Amino acid sequence: MTIVTQPVRAPVAPTKTSEPIDPVYRQIRDLVYKISGIYKAEEKLYLLADGCGRRMKQLAVRTPREYWDHLTAHPGRDGELRHLLNEVTIGETCLFRSQPQLDALRKVILPELVVQKTKQITKRLRIWSAGCSTGEESYTLAMTMIEESERLLKGWTVEILATDLNDHSVETANAGIYGDYALRNTSDLYKRKYFTTIDEKKLQIRPEVKKLITFSRLNLQDNSKMLFMKGMDLIFCCNVLIYFDGASKSKVINHFFSNLNFGGYFFLGTSESLMKLNEQFHLIHFPGTIAYWKPSLSSGKL
Amino acid sequence: MNPSVKATIRERVQKIEQMPAIPAVFLPLLKLLSNSAEDAEVDEVVRLVSYDNTIAAQCLRVASSPLYGLAQTPKSIKGAVMSLGLRRVETILLTCCLGQAFPVRKWVLDPEVFWRHSLGCAMVCRKFSEKLAKSDHEKAYMAGLLHDIGFMVNCLAFPNEFAPALERACRDGIPLHEAEQTSMGFTHCDTGEALAEKWKLADDIGEVIAHHHAVEASGKAQSLVALVHLSDLLCRVRGLGYGYYERHRVDLVADPAWAILLKEHRELEGVDLVRFTFELDETVDEIFELVATVFGSTTMHA
Repeated sequence: MTIVTQPVRAPVAPTKTSEPIDPVYRQIRDLVYKISGIYKAEEKLYLLADGCGRRMKQLAVRTPREYWDHLTAHPGRDGELRHLLNEVTIGETCLFRSQPQLDALRKVILPELVVQKTKQITKRLRIWSAGCSTGEESYTLAMTMIEESERLLKGWTVEILATDLNDHSVETANAGIYGDYALRNTSDLYKRKYFTTIDEKKLQIRPEVKKLITFSRLNLQDNSKMLFMKGMDLIFCCNVLIYFDGASKSKVINHFFSNLNFGGYFFLGTSESLMKLNEQFHLIHFPGTIAYWKPSLSSGKL
Repeated sequence: MNPSVKATIRERVQKIEQMPAIPAVFLPLLKLLSNSAEDAEVDEVVRLVSYDNTIAAQCLRVASSPLYGLAQTPKSIKGAVMSLGLRRVETILLTCCLGQAFPVRKWVLDPEVFWRHSLGCAMVCRKFSEKLAKSDHEKAYMAGLLHDIGFMVNCLAFPNEFAPALERACRDGIPLHEAEQTSMGFTHCDTGEALAEKWKLADDIGEVIAHHHAVEASGKAQSLVALVHLSDLLCRVRGLGYGYYERHRVDLVADPAWAILLKEHRELEGVDLVRFTFELDETVDEIFELVATVFGSTTMHA
């Protein structure tokens, strides 16, 4: 008998170019990682090269080497790096973007949190989507929690706070209307269960999903407001900190650490690293994904 | 372990020899690999390999995989030794020998999954070792390649006992060695240890095979065992595990093996584990490809 099993893999890019890639792009990859914490894997270097290509066109720069100088030696290098980050993270947002993250949440983290919190009597989970952009992640989390509401989370109250700096994004998120591209990872079952049809190309999230979420505007660098975001069990902050300089990033991460309950988890984007900016968080690997953990009091690891 | 269980394992392992056709170069090669004096060996390796054209050809093909760092296929074993170094070629040969001896057959555990994990672990061990000063990278590779050889023994000598263990592990999402212990009363570490004795593998490799799930129980080779233990965990959370979802959270830095390795290698503190993880993802596709080349059924005794 052979037991047929499926490998659990981190998502990989569907295509590769056969052309050899200019080594300068590896230098750019390392620079981007050092400054933003975003790592473009070898098989995704062509995406980085495409992003650089679009920037080079804008700047009328001819060679990758010349563009490297723009990123490193030019007076406007900080701004240019920001443009490049915009290019390389473009189009990454969609519902159900990271299945390994959701699997870790449902199969490992929620069971752990439920045991931990049952001891504390409170049957309440607080989740924060920090830098929620146009709401895709927040609704994904909400649907996932509803799916668990009949099992693990039976009788629990789940609150999702979703914040973004940009008013326009918060408004769009609040409307909860998405097209094919944003819904490309959403199963038909979920589309039927959690959305209503607006027209041929657009679906809108149902009120029962939306009522789990409070959308609001928040600047992560506003220290006084950050102090009020207490008691979180999970914080998601994907591809937001990459735009911050080292000092501000460090400050925001320290806030996140205090905002989390003991035993809570902090998630970044799938190819994003905390870069050792906070030594109190423990790096935790789950199948296909990583998260940062604020040790529980009982673990004695704080 | 019960002495009668130990006797049964020994007895069945003794019988394994007749089952797979181990290439003639395999055991002499193992002996060469356990010596560290390199000078006079090149001719000896070339002589050994000249008896087996299949192994030689396959070794050259594997040497050109991006995983081993050559852009072009070397024309001869000597040529491969010139560009990759003797020890690297020896470990490639060892990999090919194992592929030849144990090609993909109907096993309880999907052999492709098994070899992906073994080869993946070998790669990660070597990459890990490269981050450390004063570490034998090819020894690390070999230790990773052979650490789970006990699963092969299970499939060949204990298929009826092993099948329910694997089934339980898949069903409950628990580590395979825990399921083995519960349902068989012994694990692949015990069966692997018996094979290591039979093959007269070097003591340090034997320790790795016997203790990679209980690093503290190992002796002189404790750092190597710790290195393999951590690499094994990393493989299991990055798509190179045993093909089922292990419901676990892995805190590498808090693992006792980390502290053991750190005692001897302070430079471990400087390793960026997140980037290391992302870099490992880049090799996953190549490992899939290589396993198909070396261990796939189509190359069987070609």
